Amino acid sequence: MKISTKLILFFCGVVTLFVLLAFALLAQTRTVSAGYDALLSQQVRQAEAARVIQVSFKKQVQEWKDILLRGSAPADLDKYTRQFHEEESQVRAGATKLAGEVQDAACRDLLNEFLAAHRTLSDKYQAAYQVYVGGNFDFKSADKLVRGQDRPPTDLFDQVVQRLSDDVSASVSAQERAVGRARNLALAVSGGLLLGLGLVGFLTVSNILKRLGRLKAVSDRLAAADIEGLAVDISGPDEIGQFGDSMKGVHAAIEELSRLAAAAAAA
Amino acid sequence: MAAKLTEFYKQAAQEFGLAGRIKLAMLTKISSEKAESAADSPENIRVFEQALQQLRAAGG
Repeated sequence: MKISTKLILFFCGVVTLFVLLAFALLAQTRTVSAGYDALLSQQVRQAEAARVIQVSFKKQVQEWKDILLRGSAPADLDKYTRQFHEEESQVRAGATKLAGEVQDAACRDLLNEFLAAHRTLSDKYQAAYQVYVGGNFDFKSADKLVRGQDRPPTDLFDQVVQRLSDDVSASVSAQERAVGRARNLALAVSGGLLLGLGLVGFLTVSNILKRLGRLKAVSDRLAAADIEGLAVDISGPDEIGQFGDSMKGVHAAIEELSRLAAAAAAA
Repeated sequence: MAAKLTEFYKQAAQEFGLAGRIKLAMLTKISSEKAESAADSPENIRVFEQALQQLRAAGG
């Protein structure tokens, strides 16, 4: 194979390798991006929704306390009652929606437990509210009916939030591990290919330089008319082989010339 | 002893003189001295025939 062909093939090999590496890197980036998109669109969003519901539930309980504290004023009673029911609706709608979305069965069970507990609590709040309003705003009697009743649903929902947060953390860790594996694979493959190409390039260049060195040695001896015992053993299908072949012709011609000169001198 | 190859050199000298011998050596890559000890192989004979034809075509 000609040196020019070898060099072109080597150049094409390097370019092809880098194009393939660029495509592989692009595909890997897309995979990572898709992984994080899926994480953001599902688990992170669900964990965020759970935190919103958690806050809404705490606000609902707070509204109840505002009713007891300030409900003796009709305007405040209306205001806090309305806000209480708004938070209550938000909590129930949010928890119902979330229960329909989560993939984790244990988390779904916790949400259903919470919804059942929340309904029970709503009934108790309603009964206590009747006592409060009907009993001339006796907040102590009303409070006695629901005191500490918000703890079990709160604890249940805290578990939901914790579980969803743990899921997000686990998914992020899994994603990071997958990215790490893909990065190591890409480094190993590209490193191996570059090493292989480097080795091929080094061997090719070494071979060319070695044969050029031999060619130069022959050329130097011909230039010095030192042809005694000279053998031009450089062959091959490339440019150096062709040059070596031409050198053989020059060598033979000089030998012939020397012989003729010697014969002429002897005559 | 390569009688046939040596004959090619004589032929070249007759037709084109000393320059013909030198050009024949250059084209065949075998000097007359080496031709004397080289084998009259079909390959060598073919190379010398082609070289001589080339010399004739070029007019020496």
